[in-house]
Amino acid sequence: MNMKHLFTNILGTFVFENNQLKDQILFKDLKDYLDKEKFEQKLTKKYKKVFEPKDKDLEFILAFFKDKKYFKQFYQKNLLLTKQQIKQSVQDDNLIIQTISSIKELDRLANVLIKRLREWSELYLPEFSKSIQDQEKFIELIQKKNRKQILKELKLTEETTMGKALTKTDIDEILALAKQAASTYQLRRKQEIYLEKIMKKFCPNILELCGSTIGAKLIEAAGSLKRLATFPSSTVQLLGAEKALFRHIKTGAKSPKHGYIKEHLLVQNAKEKGKAARALADKISLAARLDFFKGEFKAKQMRKELEKKIKQ
Amino acid sequence: MNINPSKIFDVYQDRNRLYTINLTPKQSFFQERLIKKGSKEFREWDPRRSKLAAAILKGCHNIFIRKNDIVLYLGASHGYTPSFVSDIIGENGYIFALDLAPRTTRDLVFLCEKRKNIIPIMADANQPNLYLDKVCQADIIYQDVAQRNQAEIFLKNINLFLKPGGYALLAVKARSIDIKKKPKVIFNEVRTFLEKHTKVIDFKTLEPYQKDHAFIIIKNV
Ligand SMILES: C[S@@+](CC[C@H](N)C(=O)[O-])C[C@H]1O[C@@H](n2cnc3c(N)ncnc32)[C@H](O)[C@@H]1O
Repeated sequence: MNMKHLFTNILGTFVFENNQLKDQILFKDLKDYLDKEKFEQKLTKKYKKVFEPKDKDLEFILAFFKDKKYFKQFYQKNLLLTKQQIKQSVQDDNLIIQTISSIKELDRLANVLIKRLREWSELYLPEFSKSIQDQEKFIELIQKKNRKQILKELKLTEETTMGKALTKTDIDEILALAKQAASTYQLRRKQEIYLEKIMKKFCPNILELCGSTIGAKLIEAAGSLKRLATFPSSTVQLLGAEKALFRHIKTGAKSPKHGYIKEHLLVQNAKEKGKAARALADKISLAARLDFFKGEFKAKQMRKELEKKIKQ
Repeated sequence: MNINPSKIFDVYQDRNRLYTINLTPKQSFFQERLIKKGSKEFREWDPRRSKLAAAILKGCHNIFIRKNDIVLYLGASHGYTPSFVSDIIGENGYIFALDLAPRTTRDLVFLCEKRKNIIPIMADANQPNLYLDKVCQADIIYQDVAQRNQAEIFLKNINLFLKPGGYALLAVKARSIDIKKKPKVIFNEVRTFLEKHTKVIDFKTLEPYQKDHAFIIIKNV
C-alpha cells in the first residue's frame, strides 16, 4: 500500500510517497508559513488521504531536507521568524523589570553621590551637613542657601565654624555635584510613578497587595509575571532570599525564612512574623494568578482578609 | 607564539591555549583575542567560557565535529561556543542554534547576521515537536541547557534528529539537576541513564575550567 505523507516546515508544505517527494508548495515568505493551513488544505484536497509522518517516515523526511539547496532558505526564514518572536516576547513585565532594576540602581547611585557630596561639603560647612539628616532636604538646602545665611541659622561665626571659606570656583564644583544628586532623586521618583502606572494596568492585584516596589521586585526575581503565577506560595515566600538559600543548601548555614515579603509593612508590624509572611505569600500567589489570567480585581478584599488574619 | 594543529580537526593549539581559524576575519564578537599569522587569522577559544573547549583540554581525543557538518545546537545562549563550532564546520556547514530565552537569543541573532552558517531558532529544547519544522536531520547534536531533565531532553532530540551513526555531545551541569547531591553521583546517574539507551563513548569532568560540569559524548547506534 502506498501511504502519502504530508509534512509542512518553514520552507513549504510537501507530500511524500514511498520515500519520494511527490508534490510541494514552497513558501514565498514567512507569511505563507504562518498561514500554512491554507496550503496544507490545498494538498490534502488534491491527494485525499494523507498522513502525518511518524518514526521511520519522519526520519526519512528530516534527512531529505538535509540538502545544500535548502539551507539558504532555512537561514533566511528562521532568522526572520526569530526576530519576530523576540519582538513579540516583549511584554509589560519586561518594562516592570527594567524599571525596578533601574530604581534599585538609582538608589545605589544616589547613595554614592550623596555620600561624596557630604564629605566634600564638610570641608566647607561641616556643621550644616551634620544638622540635616534627611538626604534630599540637605541637597535642596545646600543649593539654596549661601554660607552667610547658613552660619547665621546655625548660630555660628567665621570664628567658630570648622569649615573653611572656599573660593567660588571650589564651591561651584560642590554645587554641581549637588545638582546631579538632586536630579538622580528626581529621576528615581519619576520612575516610581511610572512603575505604579504600568503595574496598575498590568498587575493591579499585585500592586494593591504589595505596593509597587515589593510587587515589582517579586516579578523581577521570578523572571516574569507568568513564572510568578506558576510558583507555589512557599517559593514566593523565599523570592529575594536566593543567595541565603543557596548558602544554606551548600554549607548548612541557617535557612532563610522569607525574602522580599519581609519588607512588607503587614509582616513587619505583625506579632507572629512567620505566620504573617505565610499568609501574605498565599495571597500574593493568588493575586499573581489573577493578574496573569487577567482575572478580576480582588486584592482590596484579600488585603482586608489578611489584615484580619494577621493580628498586629 | 607557536600555534599548531591540535589533535582535533580544525582546532589549533599553543600549549594550553586553543584556537580556531576565524571565518569572519578581523571581527571578534566576544572580545576574544585575534592573532594574525600569515594568511590565517586565529581566534582564541577560552575553556572557562566554553565547555567544549574545556573538554578538548581535558583530553577528549575526538569531538566528531567536521568541516561541512550540520549541527543541532541546543542552548546556544549568546553564541560563544557556537561561534567556534561555526569556524570548525566552515561556510558549507550549518548550525541550527536554539535557545529559549529572548534576551540571549537577541545577541545570538546579531551573531547569525555576521555568520551565515548559524541559523537562530527560539524554542524549548524540551519540545522538539515545536521546532521539527524549522530544522533538518543533524550530523551532530550539541546540548548545553542547564535543565533538571537535561539527559531526557538530550535523548528526545537524539531520537528525532540525529542521523544513524551520528554523534551527540552533552555538557552536564550538576547544579541544575540537584544542588544537594555530589556532582560525581549525578554524573554517574546521567551516564548510566544514557548507557541504557545509547552508546557512551567518552566522559570527562571539566575542572578546573568549569566547576561541577561533565562532558559526555555518545554515538547513535
Ligand atoms: C550555560 S548556557 C549555554 C552556553 C553556550 N552553550 C556556550 O557555551 O556558549 C545555557 C543556555 O540554555 C538555555 N536553555 C535553558 N533551558 C532551555 C531549554 N529548555 N530549551 C532551550 N534552551 C534552554 C538558556 O537560556 C541558556 O542560554
